[in-house]
Amino acid sequence: MTSGIRFDAVSVAYGDTTVLDALTLTVEPGEVMALLGPSGSGKTTALRTVAGFVRPRSGRVHIGDRDVTDLPPYKRGIGMVVQQYALFPHLRVDENVAFGLKARKHPRAEIPGRVAEALEMTGMAAYARRHPRELSGGQQQRVAIARALAIRPDVLLLDEPLSALDAQLRSGMLAELARLHRELPDVSILYVTHDQVEALTLADRIAVMDRARLQDCGTPQELYRRPRTEFTASFVGNANLLPVRVTAGGAELAGTALELPTDGAAPGSSATLCVRPHLVGLGAGPNALTGRIAEVQWRGATHRLYVDVGGHRVKADVRELRETPPLGSEVTLHFAPEDAVLLAAGVNDG
Amino acid sequence: MLVHSRTGRAASWALFAVLFVPLFAVPLLVILAASFSTHWSGAFPSGPTAGHYTAAVRGESLQALTTSLVTAAAASALALTLGTWAALAAAALRGRGRRLLDALFVLPLAVPSVVVGLAVLVAFSRPPILLNGTRWIVILAHTVLVTAFAHQSVSAAIRRLDPMYEQAAAGLGARPWYVLLRVKLPLLLPSLGAAAGLCFALSMGELSATMMLYPPDWMPLPVLVFTATDRGSLFTGSALAVVLMATTLLVLLAVSRIRTKATYR
Amino acid sequence: MASATTSTAAPARPAAARRERSRTVPGWVWALPPVAVLGLVFLYPLGLVVQESLAPGAYASVFASASFRDALLTTVWLALGATVGCLVLGFVLALIVAFVPFPGAKAVSRFIDVFLSFPSFLITLALLFVYGTVGMANGLWTGATGAAEGPFHFLTTPWGVLLAEITYFTPFVMRPLLAAFSQLDTAQLEVASSLGARPARIVRRVILPEALPALAAGGSLVLVMCLNEFGIVLFTGAKGVTTLPMLVYSKAILESDYAAACVVAVVNVAISVGLYGLYRVVSKRAGA
Repeated sequence: MTSGIRFDAVSVAYGDTTVLDALTLTVEPGEVMALLGPSGSGKTTALRTVAGFVRPRSGRVHIGDRDVTDLPPYKRGIGMVVQQYALFPHLRVDENVAFGLKARKHPRAEIPGRVAEALEMTGMAAYARRHPRELSGGQQQRVAIARALAIRPDVLLLDEPLSALDAQLRSGMLAELARLHRELPDVSILYVTHDQVEALTLADRIAVMDRARLQDCGTPQELYRRPRTEFTASFVGNANLLPVRVTAGGAELAGTALELPTDGAAPGSSATLCVRPHLVGLGAGPNALTGRIAEVQWRGATHRLYVDVGGHRVKADVRELRETPPLGSEVTLHFAPEDAVLLAAGVNDG
Repeated sequence: MLVHSRTGRAASWALFAVLFVPLFAVPLLVILAASFSTHWSGAFPSGPTAGHYTAAVRGESLQALTTSLVTAAAASALALTLGTWAALAAAALRGRGRRLLDALFVLPLAVPSVVVGLAVLVAFSRPPILLNGTRWIVILAHTVLVTAFAHQSVSAAIRRLDPMYEQAAAGLGARPWYVLLRVKLPLLLPSLGAAAGLCFALSMGELSATMMLYPPDWMPLPVLVFTATDRGSLFTGSALAVVLMATTLLVLLAVSRIRTKATYR
Repeated sequence: MASATTSTAAPARPAAARRERSRTVPGWVWALPPVAVLGLVFLYPLGLVVQESLAPGAYASVFASASFRDALLTTVWLALGATVGCLVLGFVLALIVAFVPFPGAKAVSRFIDVFLSFPSFLITLALLFVYGTVGMANGLWTGATGAAEGPFHFLTTPWGVLLAEITYFTPFVMRPLLAAFSQLDTAQLEVASSLGARPARIVRRVILPEALPALAAGGSLVLVMCLNEFGIVLFTGAKGVTTLPMLVYSKAILESDYAAACVVAVVNVAISVGLYGLYRVVSKRAGA
């Protein structure tokens, strides 16, 4: 099976507004690719070019080996689940699931079996005779997924599928989706979301979108540990982003010399230092920074400290403290050199 | 709540009653009362009788009622088909084509019914199509008059229809034709029912164009109400009017029943 | 599916795509059948009316006749008067139904919907019983004063038509108004009254601006419908009240003067369609 998705410099514009700017991205067969970004970043537009509801102004879209750019949606062989589920209200659950098979003139005798199989897979077999309005949001979601899977698509498009569910249901459905993907290892999934937890949990790779452009793409670990842009660093997980000057063996922050990998950045140039708050420790150590406590927040298992270091605010998530340091008191923070990343200044504005 | 004081509210309600009751409620009640009376002396009708009704469901009157029902049913069906087709075709178009089509189909709303009657009379009293003197010319004129209403309410419903259903169906591999039959039309069914009810009611009460066109053997009920009152039989006219109103309401009620069934199916 | 298409050679692809696209019929083709039907049953007859009206001397003789000028004047002032009446009455009634709700207010809105589905001539028929020479009002008067005749004779004058038109068309103003009022945020009214604004001020400063689009749309619709009204005028049976639609009817059916009827029809259509165009523009704005 070869059924990935390939965007080849796909641009979409409405009038003078570019909503997707020359997206080039490949989703490998059987891969889960999350398109992660804030609203208006172009991620949903990208998904809709694959579905065929949006025509690119330029560029080509391929599904497998087929160039589908000029094909109408009904010839593309995709499964799609949208935020509001779009279950047909006038049809029963089993009729909804059978819809795609009937529309494609699938042999009539096989349809009940395929419907039962899809409903079984999503745990909705007991609800086959119900109408969508009689189901809860989570159940409707499962039916929508069953309907998309019944046609055995090579490509599954999920557009914010969990955002209409409450937090508890969402984590349950997330585990379900992961299980479904294990059961259907050949299906490529394009998963659009603005929720980093969903992307980090489910995706093999994440494409980070902002302002109509692809900002970054990599495995969740890569993006989390070694983000390439300030946008990625702040959108995927939490980050301290501190302006520094590059030196020969590291960087200088507000007069303090720090030791960290420079990845060939020219000494003397300015850059942004990225270090995750939970990797910043309290007390003396390598790369020690001294400052005054500006704010302390208790978060159950951890304390979040906001420390002013030479005019810059540094966040540190430390294990719950027995005694919280008083505001204004002087503390020392530290982080390991390998936990820090230098981001070239201005990458984000490119 | 706009008025908070008790007296203020009472005054508003009194004003409402003074305006609403004589203007809207009394006329209908008066017709109802008159239809059961033989004459009107002083303030109130007198000589209670059901005679007008026994006459109203016989002979000429019964024929006029069936004429109206058949005309309204035929005109509604034709208008609904034509209006829905046009609304669906317009929805598939963009920009100027869509606006042109919409404008064409609302035009009959602005043209006086009498003029529609005159136009149809002029056009179909000559070759190539001779319809003058037949029932078809009445049905045709009614169709023209109610098509605009059907088109308007169906296009409003199409605009309200969430495109996500159509897209979900297309994504599942359904061709446009299949989407129309299996998704769009079923979802539009309640609105189509409402449009049919509206067309039916309008056609049942149509008088203007009908007066220009009706042949002697195809006289709808409103014309009969007019001829009755015109020759001074106001009480018979009232009974016929009540029959007309009751029939219209019954049909509207039946249509709304079907609609609720369809919505909750 | 994917394995089947793998064999498709790359150069063949654009041709295949083009072939698949060209199979779908362009959208405007589907618009042709309904347009053709409408053309045959409506546009073509309307065109013939215009053609007939162009008979030599038809316009001159119609425009010269006093009856035409009277009818034109009567039609316009009746329509304007009825529209103003409907707007005032409809606004007051809708205001009370929406903002001073009482038990049965829902039933009133339901009643209005039903009222709209009745033919207009029923109103005139009812008014004959209420204000006719032997009707309720005159009966009460003669009963109370002992006079031989009641004082109400306006029914066969333009005032009778005006009353009937206001009665019949007011619901057409109330319906869009009630819809607009139901979308008005009641919190706005509560805030306004908590700030000390009196009801009259709230109506003027908060409700009226919100209702203006609905009033404009409802008003222009009623204006057009009044210009075109026929049943009410026919049923009053008043010889003194002739409107343009009435004139079309009498010229064509009673006098068989088709050329003159067509001239009057063209004038009536021109006024109505012009106003209706205005209504569409206004209601589009209101909808935005």
